Amino acid sequence: MEFHALHDAPFIFPNDAHPAWSIMIVLYPYITGMVAGAFVVSTMYHVFHREALRPVARLAVVTSLCLGACATLPLLLHLHQPLRAFNVVATPSPTSAMAGFGFIYSFYMLVLLIDVWLIFRPAIVERAGTATGAWRGVYRALALGVVEITPRAAEIDRRLVHALSVIGIPAACVLHGYVGFLFGAIKANPWWSSSLMPVIFLTSAIVSGIAVLTLLYLFLCQRSDMEPDAECVRSLSRLLWMFLLLAVVFEAMDILHVAYEREEEWHVIRALLSTKLRFSYLTLQIVIGSLLPLLLLPLPAFSRRLGAGFRHSIAGVAAVLVLVQVAAMRWNVVVGGQLFSKSFRGFVEYPVDWFGREGLLAAAVVLALPMVLLWGVMKLLPVWPPSPESESGAKA
Amino acid sequence: MSLFELPILSTLGAAAAGGCASGGCASGGCSTGGCGTAPAERTSENSRREFLKTATTLTLGAMSLTLLPGVTAGDDMLPLPPPGGDGHAPAAKPMYGFLIDTTKCIGAGKCLTACRVENSVPDGQSRTWVERYVHYKDGRVEVDLVPETGYAGSGEVQPAAEDVLQAYFVPKLCNQCVDAPCNQVCPVHASIKSPEGIELVDTERCIGCGYCVQACPYGIRFMNHDTGVADKCNWCYHRVMRNEQPACVEACPTGARVFGRIDDPDSEISKRLATVPTNVLKQHLGTLPLTRYVGLTDEVT
Amino acid sequence: MVLFSIGGRMTDKAPTQGTVMTSFNDTRHLWALGAFLAAVGLVGMVVRREMIPDDFGTTGPYRASALDDIAAQPSLFQADATCHACHEAVKHERAGKSHEAVRCAHCHGLAVDHVAMARRGAEDATVALPPAAEWDGDFLTKADLYISKDRATCLSCHEAVVGMPADFKKIDVAVHLEEQGASEPLSRETCFECHGGHDTAP
Repeated sequence: MEFHALHDAPFIFPNDAHPAWSIMIVLYPYITGMVAGAFVVSTMYHVFHREALRPVARLAVVTSLCLGACATLPLLLHLHQPLRAFNVVATPSPTSAMAGFGFIYSFYMLVLLIDVWLIFRPAIVERAGTATGAWRGVYRALALGVVEITPRAAEIDRRLVHALSVIGIPAACVLHGYVGFLFGAIKANPWWSSSLMPVIFLTSAIVSGIAVLTLLYLFLCQRSDMEPDAECVRSLSRLLWMFLLLAVVFEAMDILHVAYEREEEWHVIRALLSTKLRFSYLTLQIVIGSLLPLLLLPLPAFSRRLGAGFRHSIAGVAAVLVLVQVAAMRWNVVVGGQLFSKSFRGFVEYPVDWFGREGLLAAAVVLALPMVLLWGVMKLLPVWPPSPESESGAKA
Repeated sequence: MSLFELPILSTLGAAAAGGCASGGCASGGCSTGGCGTAPAERTSENSRREFLKTATTLTLGAMSLTLLPGVTAGDDMLPLPPPGGDGHAPAAKPMYGFLIDTTKCIGAGKCLTACRVENSVPDGQSRTWVERYVHYKDGRVEVDLVPETGYAGSGEVQPAAEDVLQAYFVPKLCNQCVDAPCNQVCPVHASIKSPEGIELVDTERCIGCGYCVQACPYGIRFMNHDTGVADKCNWCYHRVMRNEQPACVEACPTGARVFGRIDDPDSEISKRLATVPTNVLKQHLGTLPLTRYVGLTDEVT
Repeated sequence: MVLFSIGGRMTDKAPTQGTVMTSFNDTRHLWALGAFLAAVGLVGMVVRREMIPDDFGTTGPYRASALDDIAAQPSLFQADATCHACHEAVKHERAGKSHEAVRCAHCHGLAVDHVAMARRGAEDATVALPPAAEWDGDFLTKADLYISKDRATCLSCHEAVVGMPADFKKIDVAVHLEEQGASEPLSRETCFECHGGHDTAP
């Protein structure tokens, strides 16, 4: 069957003229991906003991928490009946890929919350003792009323954090692999239907998490006139390079397989890539977002000769490019899949509004909100690791 | 067909057995490939589909049972297989089918206006529509949408008859798939497979996520602009429950749309199905549509 | 304590203080956390229970009364049988004619109000049925009941359109009127001059 995308008289099914999923559904996997990715970075320290990542380990869990707190926002903005959102947990359908979200998300957030609470409990308890006025009450409440830490308790908490991080790894993987499955399991859509989707989403999630942490770390260091820890940035760049390579390989495999085998959906996909997604896929996702950072990242990741300032700048630029790559990938999947009619005979116009519940402005707010939240949390809790002396003092 | 002979109706047993049967669904659908090419084949395929339908209902019902809170397994929960065990015994609930005869459709659009009024479908969205396929002598195939009130007086420029090799109309409506992807993906059980096999939307439970819209391979579902919930052709369930014909069938002046009971050999649809070769849309997807077509070409998606 | 033992097994650092006794003071914060989460969970479960409709799942994996709700939608498009119940003469006029399959509604509108009033009129003689209007030329008209003797009604099916079955009667109006020598070719009612109404001849 030939795809008539470039046909003189394209034909689209009448209901395909209004794509059902807006830009909010682009943001949802983008944010959820960062949630999972940032958590994976923290586990690199807490579980796999990559000591170089110590400076960002706490920042990573807090970032994951702040992003996670906003992850449902784009979904709520998208739902036509947001007040009924909790039907998903009230009467979930076991056959629906989407129904799992409520449970998977809740479980992950629970693990993350306990993790964060235990990690920051020493700081909370300390501030509950030193803070004055209303703040004292806030910290006491955050400590759930228990404002002392015995050495034995500190040891228990350390082990619990380890255990929770171990549980958190599969939880984070399921959280985002599942988002990929949402798309990959739609046989009606040849651009989505693929068993590789969960893996692609997962690797790109980890990539986006590492990138957002690299950026945050460099940005926060610069703002507080702190010299970024060279080994930490190096370690982040290595991880980023490795996972980006993995993500790109999976993404390429998915397309190449369909293209080379000339599977029946190839005609749709070829038409899509050569016209509507030409810029966002080929230029943004492949060249600018994948190839360029893959070439740049070895400098901060492996070079020992270049100056620290230069290496860190390159790491920052690469992180921005990677975030563009992942955003483009989400766009290409979500929007790309709705750009052709299920008649396979014509393209659909994708309207993007500035205003309104699902407009670009709302999208910008949704993206900015986790950062505002992070700023607030940083006021409340110390995200930088305690000095080694004080930590060993607590352990003793 | 041995499923019916097994005394399995414990929740888990039904789920496991149903799972196997619907696993066989896909391959069954494929193996009957050119289904309906000969009358003899058609009959056996119909009974197979009846069986599969029951099996799928069993699976879905049982699967939800295992996970739903506050629901206890009871005999009234699961549609019991008909006694006799060969799938031909009369079912407790009637089974309906829809036949579209593309060789009879004149593209007048009477069905379209009838549906829009009957179901208060907002402008710009459609529960049913009619496509026109025009094969030109130079090899091109062009498709367009029949205007809601027909071509007459619409001012649309018509193709020159002398350039046209063949042309025909293809009405579209819900296929009421036995293994419906839209039903499968609904996260809140707002998609209902009625006991009669008709796919319905519970407008009070639907959260408006649009996943079913994405999952329907036929573009039948849409987010209703007016109500903010998923909407779709339901074969005019309300009319069917009153023993009336769906509005589009009632409005069709040429008999291109035939609706009726496929479990009654004397119904018009059963007689037509028994004499004319029919086909379904996007058969390779294994959705097992109940809407069957006479005269489908492979240009039709 | 269970949590502690899990943590103990999973950590790869050998527990150096394994012999130290754990007192309640060491785990007080975990009990507080447990109580807090249990309270939140309990509230959540109660709320969730309230959100499940009573009749959910009683006949299948859905809200059982939804079927009745959907089935309660009124039937608007009148079947010919509804019209023929009163207009029996028309039924006989049309019986066996080539246009029997053309529905009453196509030339006379949906007649939803008309039928409803007629049903009330059957019981209450004071209910008077308003007369049918003249068709306003719009196939999507809001008029409830009308009489169309407009040729547009005929042509909505018969105007020659590419795609019609070969054996369907197609009309090119200008040619047809010329051939038949119509007396008033511009009249909207020309079709009825030769073909009649309810007893439409071919």
